[in-house]
Amino acid sequence: MTLAVPTSLDDAVRLLDEHPDAMLLAGGTDAMVEINDGHRRPASLVIALNRVSDLRSWRHDADAGTVTIGAGITYTELMEPPLATLLPALAEASRTVGSPQIRNAGTLGGNLGTCSPAGDGLPVLSALDAKVRIVSADGERDASIHDVMLGVKRTSLEPNELIAEITLPVRSGWQGYAKVGVRNAMVIAVASACLAVDETNQSVAIALGSVGPTVIRCTEAEQHLASAVDWDTGVVDHDAIGRVGELVSAASSPITDHRSTAEYRRHAVGVLARRLARRAFTINGVAA
Amino acid sequence: MRASDLDDWTTGTALDLVGSSVDRVDAVDKVTGRARYTADVQLPGQLTGVIVRSPIPHGRVVSIDTASALGVEGVVDVLTADDIDEISWYEDDAPLLPGIVRYVGDEVALVVAETRSDAERGVGALSVEYEPMEFLTHPDDVERPGAPELLGNESADEVEEDGRGDVDEAFDDAHIVVEGTFRTPVAIHNSLEPHGAVADWVGDSITLYTSTQGVNDVREQMGERLGLNHNQVRVVSEFVGGGFGAKQVAWKPTMLAALASKRTGRPVWVMNDRSGENVAAGKRNGTEHTVRIAADPDGRLLAIDADVRADRGAYAVKGEASAVSGPYLHLYQCARVRTRVRRVRTNTGPAVAFRAPGYVESTFVLESLMDELAGELDIDPIELRRRNHSSRNQQEDLEWSQPEGLLRSYERVAEVARWDETDDRDETDGEDEHDGLLHGRGFAAHDWLAASAMPPGHAGVEFNFDGSVHVSTSAQDIGTGTRTVLAQVVADELGVDISSVRLSLGDTSTGPPAPTSAGSTTVPTMAPAVRAAAAAAVDDLLDAAAEHHGVERSSLSFDGTHVKSSAAAFEDQPLGDLLSDLSPRVVHGWGGRETIAEDVSPRAQGSAVAEVSVDPLTGEVRVTSITVAPDCGRILNRRLADSQVIGGVTQGIGFALTEEQVVDHRLGVVVNPDLNEYLLPTVSDTCTIRHAALDIPDLRANPLGTKGIGELPLIAVPAAIANAVRDATGIRLHELPITRRRLLEAIASSEALDHESGDHR
Repeated sequence: MTLAVPTSLDDAVRLLDEHPDAMLLAGGTDAMVEINDGHRRPASLVIALNRVSDLRSWRHDADAGTVTIGAGITYTELMEPPLATLLPALAEASRTVGSPQIRNAGTLGGNLGTCSPAGDGLPVLSALDAKVRIVSADGERDASIHDVMLGVKRTSLEPNELIAEITLPVRSGWQGYAKVGVRNAMVIAVASACLAVDETNQSVAIALGSVGPTVIRCTEAEQHLASAVDWDTGVVDHDAIGRVGELVSAASSPITDHRSTAEYRRHAVGVLARRLARRAFTINGVAA
Repeated sequence: MRASDLDDWTTGTALDLVGSSVDRVDAVDKVTGRARYTADVQLPGQLTGVIVRSPIPHGRVVSIDTASALGVEGVVDVLTADDIDEISWYEDDAPLLPGIVRYVGDEVALVVAETRSDAERGVGALSVEYEPMEFLTHPDDVERPGAPELLGNESADEVEEDGRGDVDEAFDDAHIVVEGTFRTPVAIHNSLEPHGAVADWVGDSITLYTSTQGVNDVREQMGERLGLNHNQVRVVSEFVGGGFGAKQVAWKPTMLAALASKRTGRPVWVMNDRSGENVAAGKRNGTEHTVRIAADPDGRLLAIDADVRADRGAYAVKGEASAVSGPYLHLYQCARVRTRVRRVRTNTGPAVAFRAPGYVESTFVLESLMDELAGELDIDPIELRRRNHSSRNQQEDLEWSQPEGLLRSYERVAEVARWDETDDRDETDGEDEHDGLLHGRGFAAHDWLAASAMPPGHAGVEFNFDGSVHVSTSAQDIGTGTRTVLAQVVADELGVDISSVRLSLGDTSTGPPAPTSAGSTTVPTMAPAVRAAAAAAVDDLLDAAAEHHGVERSSLSFDGTHVKSSAAAFEDQPLGDLLSDLSPRVVHGWGGRETIAEDVSPRAQGSAVAEVSVDPLTGEVRVTSITVAPDCGRILNRRLADSQVIGGVTQGIGFALTEEQVVDHRLGVVVNPDLNEYLLPTVSDTCTIRHAALDIPDLRANPLGTKGIGELPLIAVPAAIANAVRDATGIRLHELPITRRRLLEAIASSEALDHESGDHR
């Protein structure tokens, strides 16, 4: 096994183009677990991306109302201002990842590259309709997050492509992330959800993790909630929230495994969505 | 000197160190990494062995092709059953490397190489052909009528019965009967340091560096199997990264390392990796209990009838794996008790003792039923236990060494947990009735044996010629702080500064015999032994001084720095000066702790209070506080006692809420043999932990009045948590761990029942 440690994006892309079967190593928080468990053998070439400075920066474009995050930005960096202020749901999701050591190592790009259905950052990227910049020796292209995530640990990236950066809108309106695991920390989500309000467009986005082969957007629940909100006051009827939970549960498509059952996941994700909606809006008609 | 010759150290003695929170004497060595654990041992020319384990739950090893492994660069040797003398293992006398494997993880071969990665490549290249056989990994399947006899199961005839009185009669006319069937999971010890050894065979003798709770037992066991005398086997275990009961005997990695060292003529290092550790190095047995208890209208127990099935796994490991009948027999005053225990064999890893083996399991069951009884009769849970207090061992008709210990525990735990204050914790909070948290609290009591069957322990104390002190015993410190506590006791007995006391522990070649560290017995055995040795060393010092100075022996005394005399002409002599004068005479003492008095039954009981909040919509249980009041006798070091409490309570939280080895019974494979999927509690899963310390010297248990604390703080915690969940939700869970899914399912089915009966509350 050879380890390549490029320091520029060009070098990384060139190496990957020459060795499309190479393994890309970002924080290693997924790859090392798979190697330790014997589920994966390191390829003959491993390209470590942590010294690629182009991947380690982010920028806020105030005019465009966007934040562009290099793929090598860690969860720890996402948890702290100013990023946390600009993208509160991503910060909330990052805080639920693993332990401090894992959050120091794990990156947003790696989260997307692995594309686990339980990846904590991914429902947020989906809810915010992230744009992904993908580079290769052939050039670069922009893709919608919805076209990148295909299935369980499956993306639309070509073998010679890597994720350079991810662009997210800075929205006015509440946004948050919630998850249930099998213990309180260091745990893979059994069900997770992100809810993001767009006050400008008077819309709501809801994305679910761990309850399907990849992240699920709940269009029906989103529309139901958006139409139930009084956008002048931010008040929503209690019963509408209950309905959102039902629609979210119905949109999920979970499996049973040793961590939990499909029934539990379907139920829990509805509860999470309902609670996020309750945090996002003022509730009318709450029983005392 | 014998420990029983000592005074009880309660009156007229200035104890500077005993009872205070002295820092661990090895704290700096541990935090700087200087302390040498077994895995750290590096000897010149050392090889590494990696174990080849069975991937199938039951089957015949048809052939092992070692040639391809031996062809891997760096591989030095491969050991299979064909390559070694016949050595039997476990209580079953099964072959060390069996021709018929009994569970996924059973040892098949050892690949020995220059480095660990060479050895792992060798394992990858090794080809083993198996002929799979029928297997049964679930005890229900073993007991199913018509199930095949796979592992010499004689469960039907192997029922262990115990108890007293006519139980059936009591149930016929009891005022109230509470009953249920309960299950507890397979839990894994997960010591930070796995099992393993470095073996160094030189000439006709062997040195074994091994992570063990008992260097003497390992010496005996290895000597017997290798045909060596005790003085040809040296066992060293200077620092141990935890044992929790799973390291009481020599395990296969130790023997495989020994055989490989003999064959290769080089030292060989063999440590389990984490997955090997989690499938093949012991586990708490899974149990199922069907229990009924009968009481009179005041809640006084009339009878207890317990039927327990324990899954012991594929092999029987030496030692008590599961004393499940103990709590039923001993915790409460009850004239009629019957326990029946069946031990079932399955094609899974072997069960072994795990911190209060059997007691944690049965306490969950008995205390769940006592909680139900308290609810049915509307009696405060602690008051119910008081009414059923037992001050004696009813099986042996002996008084407890501390007949009131448990009552003191009840008082103390209630006071510290503020049990009697009016609480509104049953109320729901939160934004509405559908999303609030439910709060509850639970109580549980526990019994424990308190070192009632410990073997004798010995120690030597020697004054070096400069006046510093050397303590030697082969007793090991398995991480609990034994080294520190023994130093405190010696320093106080001599009156010297603790910094002048050094101990050699965990080495059969330098210390006299001492028992295995198990059953919370190390301190109650070894503290009296080292104290007796220190007292004997002072006697020897004064004998020598009397002879040297020609003064009356009875006029002499030692205050820790000087030898003094009541005789007028004698000038106080500094210790160092006297020892130089006496040189080459060595001043030393020998102390022993013999078996306990036979007219009492030593007991260390206690109780716990848990507070929880439950999210009824996700099933999440958050433990908010645990208070425990263990009657461990005299507390020698409060901080170390608190450490044991923190660890025990945390293990209790894990056993109650998250820890469970999961087997895929279709394949017979453990699906979570790692720390990623086997869910130990994290810091976020723990809570406020209060040690409601009792500190009552139990002088009938031993002359120091100390009973050990290792097991105690764990035992009642899972039961207290389950009772708190019941208090919060109204749901009685009959199976641990209380996972989010299980709790939610139970809530859903109880709501469905309410719905059917038209009760909408």
